[in-house]
Amino acid sequence: MIPLTPHLLPLTPYTRCILDGRIIVITSGKGGVGKTTATASIGAALAMEGKRVVVIDMDIGLRNLDVVMGLENRIIYNVVDAVKGKCKIKQAAIKDRRIENLYLIPASQSDNKNVLSPEEMVGFREIISKEFDYVLMDCPAGIERGFENSVAAADEAIVICAPEVSSVRDADRVIGLLYARSITPKLVVNRIVPEMVERGDMLNHSDVVDVLSIELIGLVPMDDQVVVCTNTGMPLVLQKKSLAGEAFRRIALRINGMADLPIEVPQSQSRFWKKLGTRLGLGK
Amino acid sequence: MSSPRKIRQQMEEKANQEKASVRLKGLGDSLYVTLDPARPPEQLQKELDRLFTRMKHLAVNARVILDTGEQDSHGDLIEHLGKFLKNTFGVGSVLEPPRKRLVSEEQARRQDMESSWHNYRSDVLMLAGRVRSGQNVTARKHLLIMGDVNPGAVISAGGDILVMGRLRGIAAAGQPDNQDVIILALDFQPTQIQIGGVMAAGLPPSPRKVPEFAYMENGAIVVEDYLDADPFGRLTWPQVR
Ligand SMILES: Nc1ncnc2c1ncn2[C@@H]1O[C@H](COP(=O)(O)OP(=O)(O)O)[C@@H](O)[C@H]1O
Ligand SMILES: [Mg+2]
Repeated sequence: MIPLTPHLLPLTPYTRCILDGRIIVITSGKGGVGKTTATASIGAALAMEGKRVVVIDMDIGLRNLDVVMGLENRIIYNVVDAVKGKCKIKQAAIKDRRIENLYLIPASQSDNKNVLSPEEMVGFREIISKEFDYVLMDCPAGIERGFENSVAAADEAIVICAPEVSSVRDADRVIGLLYARSITPKLVVNRIVPEMVERGDMLNHSDVVDVLSIELIGLVPMDDQVVVCTNTGMPLVLQKKSLAGEAFRRIALRINGMADLPIEVPQSQSRFWKKLGTRLGLGK
Repeated sequence: MSSPRKIRQQMEEKANQEKASVRLKGLGDSLYVTLDPARPPEQLQKELDRLFTRMKHLAVNARVILDTGEQDSHGDLIEHLGKFLKNTFGVGSVLEPPRKRLVSEEQARRQDMESSWHNYRSDVLMLAGRVRSGQNVTARKHLLIMGDVNPGAVISAGGDILVMGRLRGIAAAGQPDNQDVIILALDFQPTQIQIGGVMAAGLPPSPRKVPEFAYMENGAIVVEDYLDADPFGRLTWPQVR
């Protein structure tokens, strides 16, 4: 009889220690819908809740999470070094200057996506989840190696979708692939322009939820502050007046246990005034 | 392709050619004679003459049943041939067979409906759940999906496709070349449909949310309100599709 040796069992979420950090991949299929923005913002908001957070840029060869977070000029090691064991996690994780408990492990710019394998990522997961409460992985666009690597290390997933037909299509594809890997993804609809939705020129978020039919955890409006913050490397969630920043803060709270926090639907200013006008008896 | 009716006709013709016009066999204490009423009476009489001559005295006082094998009786013919047998061979009595209580078609149909389908093996692939973009579902024969088919998903079947939900992806029924099939959805918004080898795309979205179905008519795909058209309401009893 061959004795069952526990350390040879595959490490599933069930065999992992309950005290280990949560590893969440942020993905979308399509590019440019706000994965990087969401990773940086949700990561920052979770750290502001007092959690130890690391955000990892998995877009090897096209790194930009470091730029968005304004940590570009402090890179020494990167995620490939960390996964391959060329450096310690502590060395690769860059500490954010403004937000306590927030760390970044940047992508390597020179390597190609195939330098890492899903198997290596599964091994890396065991190490990284011991050191942080939350590990957020910014997944590259597409469903190839970069996606495979990011998903292999993750237990949970957030799918970012823009209210556009092509984005919904790609998100749907990715959701199917995540389910096939026993991950139940949650949904964030980003880049909502309320005026366009009201005119019928943009998909309503309920149309998106209708097709994707997964749990919605946030609606993020289009917000000029995002571009400003991206360019200056300022955390979006620190901008008091940013509607997108506020939406991401609420998403972080929902992830961090406040599951019942209501989801606010982005409203246009005109609509707001119209409503007020009606209530005051000024409307038709 | 031949219709079942045509096949049955062919089989009957073949059997008729093989069947002799008159056949005789013993049945208990009677002589049972089957004859084909379609043949000319002279020929039937000649045949009877030949057969009864061979039997000689066995025919004397015998009870003879003349069966024309049909529902409507051929009284005149039987009377004529009966007289001939009595006069020539001295047979005792000539009778028609007891009328078989033929099961009417209607009864047969009712039986069809009431009889159990327990032993019928279904050819339907029935799935519950959402079919997402990039996913393919292929059924050998009919396909029934309880759920939605998202844009970017492809479902295909050798027979019919029924979607109990929203159909927004691509649906191909009757693959590869059966055009006698339908594609039905409670909310019919496909990106593209195919029936047999014929394709239709860019269907105008219907304003009302009603179950619709697509089928082939004169080489073109037609989409109609399912309940209005009621395509199978004309079939008067359930039958295997
Ligand atoms: N809610 C938003 N409002 C305005 N601009 C946004 C918003 N979300 C993302 N963007 C902008 O869209 C672009 C793509 O976002 P990014 O996060 O880099 O997407 P991804 O990582 O999915 O490719 C960036 O220029 C970003 O500033
Ligand atoms: Mg990105």
